[in-house]
Amino acid sequence: MRSYEYLKPTSLKEALELLGRYGEKAKLVAGGTDLMVQWKKKIISPEYVISLRNVPELSFVTYESDLKIGSATTHRTLELSPIIREHFPILLDAVSNLGSVQVRNSATIGGNICNAAPSADTAPPLLALDAVAHIAGPQGERTMPIAEFFKGPSRTALASGEIVTHFSIPRPSPNTGMAYWKHTRRKAMDLPILGVAVLLSFGQDGKTCAKARISLGVAAPTPMRARKAEAYLEGKEVDRGALDEAGKIAAGEASPRTTIRGSQWYREEMIRVLVRRTGLMCIERAKGAAHG
Amino acid sequence: MAEQFVGKSHPRFDAEKVTGKARFINDIKAPRMLYGKILYSKRPHARITHIDTSKAERLQGVRAVLTGFNTPDVRVGFLGDQIALKRDKVRQFRDEVAAVAAINEEIAEEALELIRVEYEDLPAVFDPIEAMKEGAPLIHEVDARGKPRRNNILPLPWKLEAGDVQKGRSESAFVVKDTFRTTWVHQVCMGTSGCIAEFDVNNNLQFISVTNVPFGGKDRLDMFLRNLGIRGSTRILTPYVGGSFGSKLDTDIYEFIAVLLAWKTKCPVKILFDRLEEFTASPPRQPIIGTVEQGCDKDGRLTFRVVEMILDNGAYTSWGATTPSVMMVPISTLYRVPNISFRATCVYTNNIYAQAMRGYGNPQATYVVEQSMDQLAVEAGIDPIEFRLINANEPNETSPMGLKITTCPMKECLEEVKTRLDWKKKQGKHDGHGVGVACFLHVGGGARVYRSDAQGLILKVDDEGKVTAITGGTDQGQGSETIIRQMVAEATGFRPQDVNIFQGDTEICPWDVGTHASRHAFMVGHAILMAGAQVRAKLLAMASTWMGQLISRNLQKKARQDPDFKIPDVDLSLLSNPENLDISNGQIFLKSDPDNKLLRLPVAQIVRSAHMVGTGRGEMIVAEAFYDPPNEMLNAEGKGNLSCCYTFGAHGVEVQVDQETGQVTILNYVAAHDVGRAINPMLVKGQIYGATIMGAGYGLTEEMQVNAGRVMNPNLLDYKLLTAKDKIPIDPVIVEPIEPSGPFGLKGIGEPACVPAAPAIANAVADAIGVRIKDLPLSPEKVLAAIKGKGR
Ligand SMILES: Cc1cc2nc3c(=O)[nH]c(=O)nc-3n(C[C@H](O)[C@H](O)[C@H](O)COP(=O)(O)OP(=O)(O)OC[C@H]3O[C@@H](n4cnc5c(N)ncnc54)[C@H](O)[C@@H]3O)c2cc1C
Repeated sequence: MRSYEYLKPTSLKEALELLGRYGEKAKLVAGGTDLMVQWKKKIISPEYVISLRNVPELSFVTYESDLKIGSATTHRTLELSPIIREHFPILLDAVSNLGSVQVRNSATIGGNICNAAPSADTAPPLLALDAVAHIAGPQGERTMPIAEFFKGPSRTALASGEIVTHFSIPRPSPNTGMAYWKHTRRKAMDLPILGVAVLLSFGQDGKTCAKARISLGVAAPTPMRARKAEAYLEGKEVDRGALDEAGKIAAGEASPRTTIRGSQWYREEMIRVLVRRTGLMCIERAKGAAHG
Repeated sequence: MAEQFVGKSHPRFDAEKVTGKARFINDIKAPRMLYGKILYSKRPHARITHIDTSKAERLQGVRAVLTGFNTPDVRVGFLGDQIALKRDKVRQFRDEVAAVAAINEEIAEEALELIRVEYEDLPAVFDPIEAMKEGAPLIHEVDARGKPRRNNILPLPWKLEAGDVQKGRSESAFVVKDTFRTTWVHQVCMGTSGCIAEFDVNNNLQFISVTNVPFGGKDRLDMFLRNLGIRGSTRILTPYVGGSFGSKLDTDIYEFIAVLLAWKTKCPVKILFDRLEEFTASPPRQPIIGTVEQGCDKDGRLTFRVVEMILDNGAYTSWGATTPSVMMVPISTLYRVPNISFRATCVYTNNIYAQAMRGYGNPQATYVVEQSMDQLAVEAGIDPIEFRLINANEPNETSPMGLKITTCPMKECLEEVKTRLDWKKKQGKHDGHGVGVACFLHVGGGARVYRSDAQGLILKVDDEGKVTAITGGTDQGQGSETIIRQMVAEATGFRPQDVNIFQGDTEICPWDVGTHASRHAFMVGHAILMAGAQVRAKLLAMASTWMGQLISRNLQKKARQDPDFKIPDVDLSLLSNPENLDISNGQIFLKSDPDNKLLRLPVAQIVRSAHMVGTGRGEMIVAEAFYDPPNEMLNAEGKGNLSCCYTFGAHGVEVQVDQETGQVTILNYVAAHDVGRAINPMLVKGQIYGATIMGAGYGLTEEMQVNAGRVMNPNLLDYKLLTAKDKIPIDPVIVEPIEPSGPFGLKGIGEPACVPAAPAIANAVADAIGVRIKDLPLSPEKVLAAIKGKGR
């Protein structure tokens, strides 16, 4: 590693200024758990590293009209947050199985999303939750639905000089069940072979699906929504059979690859199986949420 | 006499490791030390046409750039099939092409990037079966002596024939034959490979090394120096070592390179692997293709067994190519089989080459044999455990290979598995839930792979009342630092905390073959008994000279200080006969009056007196032992009693297979082990847990994915070592038959639990899904493919 300068802004304004000043020579770092790996492998070699750790505006969780999560909030903070535990089990599923406790103590949700790996564990839940990214940059602030944020492996819609400040997530309607399933070879320190997030909101009758979200990790070059499968479920009474069909449709929408972590046929097969299983978990959880 | 320390779960003494104080190779720095880095090949098989190092040489901070073109042509490795820095051609991606020494690691790395190597590609071969065919690209055109080679088959024709296989076949009612494959798995030591080489002004080499064979390593480096024309000899020092599992048995190429760099620069040179290098440039366990055919009569008694192994040797030869000598043990002797034929062929390919790894060929052989046992049991319509019980080894029998079994609780171990797993209820359902079993035997009392299987030991008692055990063995984390203390304390009459250990210096420590083959506790235990008896005898003799006077002086002093004290009427003359004395807890006392405080003295006081008596009359207490066990080297036919005793066991596993995802969950795991005698039950369990998990990783998740010679997953994310969260519910069952040939009754336990895990799991999965998967690991993909009848 060549020598570099480590900058520690203490406000968003200062961070934006530094980023503006050093441009392409600079890299933002939050937890550093992706950045350091890329640095060591010489994929990147920044001359300036701008740390977001001391920027208080970027680290928070609030739940009023909607859920807001600061981009520099660590996965461990989310995992222990009563708000997440009580109202957003889909995020708890994701953050509590990411890396290890040590990694989660440092790694952030903003880093996970901005790194834009097809395997990012918080991406499918944020897609299922219709999250919106709030972005600050030289031209001021803008927002973007998370579904438009990923442009390719390691590529995002962020322009140079921009920082993600937080994510906002609309309050789910009552009678909603949500779950994320991470399919791995081992129980810790593993990336998903496939990640499946499902959110199902039911109407007054508690049976008809008013809203369905199905999103997948490692099923395409970016985390993706299986919109046809979602449409198939909406307006239907969702049962095992319907979820089976949704799984098949989702597998058809996805374009997984064969990599050293898993082959295409296996991933397609897992989409079929895990969409159904995760959907069934949602039905269970919706019941729990309705009674609880 | 009841033992005081042996047999107890004494806590470990190396707590330094968990405080961060222990010094590993990573922590050691020498003044003026340089950092060495190696440039590896970018091609699997190519001629090197040109190497341009000029830019690297000009980089500030670089002290030496070496290649095959500016270093002498000295062959290394046990078949002499390579030179440290390759010159004529590269034969694998890990071939060392150039090396740099610089003032820091960053500069050394930068220098590597400045070296230009030009290659001319040659056709490569990565499949050992292809490599055996006529017309396959030759990996080595000539052998170590320069004689032309005609094919890629190594000149190591491993072979064992016993009985009459034809006859056995004709007596069989049932016969099965199948082929199984295993892949490369890595030892993945927490501590990566590393060394520091330094020459003194007399050209002697001081070599700080992570080896567990210090004297073998010294021999190899001494020979290397001689061949380089350097008139000096090697002293090997070993610091704390973060695991070996076989990976630190051979002297590796980076070590020779460190010597070359140190010689060139006249500075200490350190080479330390990072994890990537550890995965790509250190030799793992060898893959095999094993074909096994065996039969039994109508009552289920085994009639014959024929095994053919093909080993992918990779581009060069290290100890991996000698693992067939250990494969012979289970192939000939796991269960009673009268007629045996075994053949192993090692084949050069353009793949990475292999070393020793925990079990040394036994995991591959047992994997093959134990799956075939299940297939044969099915064929004969006998329950797999009953089938094994019918054929189980028994005490005091000699196997077709000439192994003389002493104690053997194989049946007990099988019974443990049967009851603890509730086997009868669970076996044979094929409903996604299954049970499987596999047995093993392994050398438990050394293995005479060299002409000597000895260990040297010196015990020295100082005037603080401490005993120092100076041993030629090494500790790489297995806990010998604790059991040596327990055994020395037991043998000498001291307490474990009074025992210090000095090891890891070839200049001072007595000779030892090496800490391999699960032999350390066995050998050092015997040496401790021999030297410990001498220490006791010498101490008691010394005490008999001194105790009378010292006690009488003590009593008079006490009487002077305390007017009320009356010197008791004791017969001090009893103390002048050593036969009347005994030692315990570092105190010497009168056997007939052991509780009398007045007639007891600490060893320290006696030894001090013997040291301080004046010119010509002083004495010290040092004892030595060189224990070379009564085991045998294999003869030309591959026969002989390799070890003093053999350790047995059975692993039983209950699994749940997710029939939609192919994921295997271990619900229950019984690991029943014959250990002779557990010197430290806690540490024995530690070995069983650790080795079982390593074996389960071999079965389920671990795999170096080697594609066209390149390791595709050289990191801990994609090499799926099981983590603490994947812990398996292991029930370790220790069976203690008390081994008569073993010191304190013990047998070696370092490797065994790694042996039967993969086949036990494979058998359980086959029981669960009703299909057998014939190659490792049992990944969810393979399991699902098998369930769906896809693929193979
Ligand atoms: C051992 C280990 C295990 C892991 N396991 C998992 C796992 O199970 N699942 C998983 O999904 N990931 C895993 N990861 C990857 C990583 O930990 C996560 O992606 C993590 O969330 C990244 O967050 P970070 O704060 O460390 O990001 P950093 O490394 O600090 O940053 C990542 C990238 O995002 C950019 N960035 C960070 N914050 C912002 C911002 N606010 N605005 C704009 N750009 C920003 C940085 O410039 C950088 O390019 C693992 C990593 C390691 C080392």
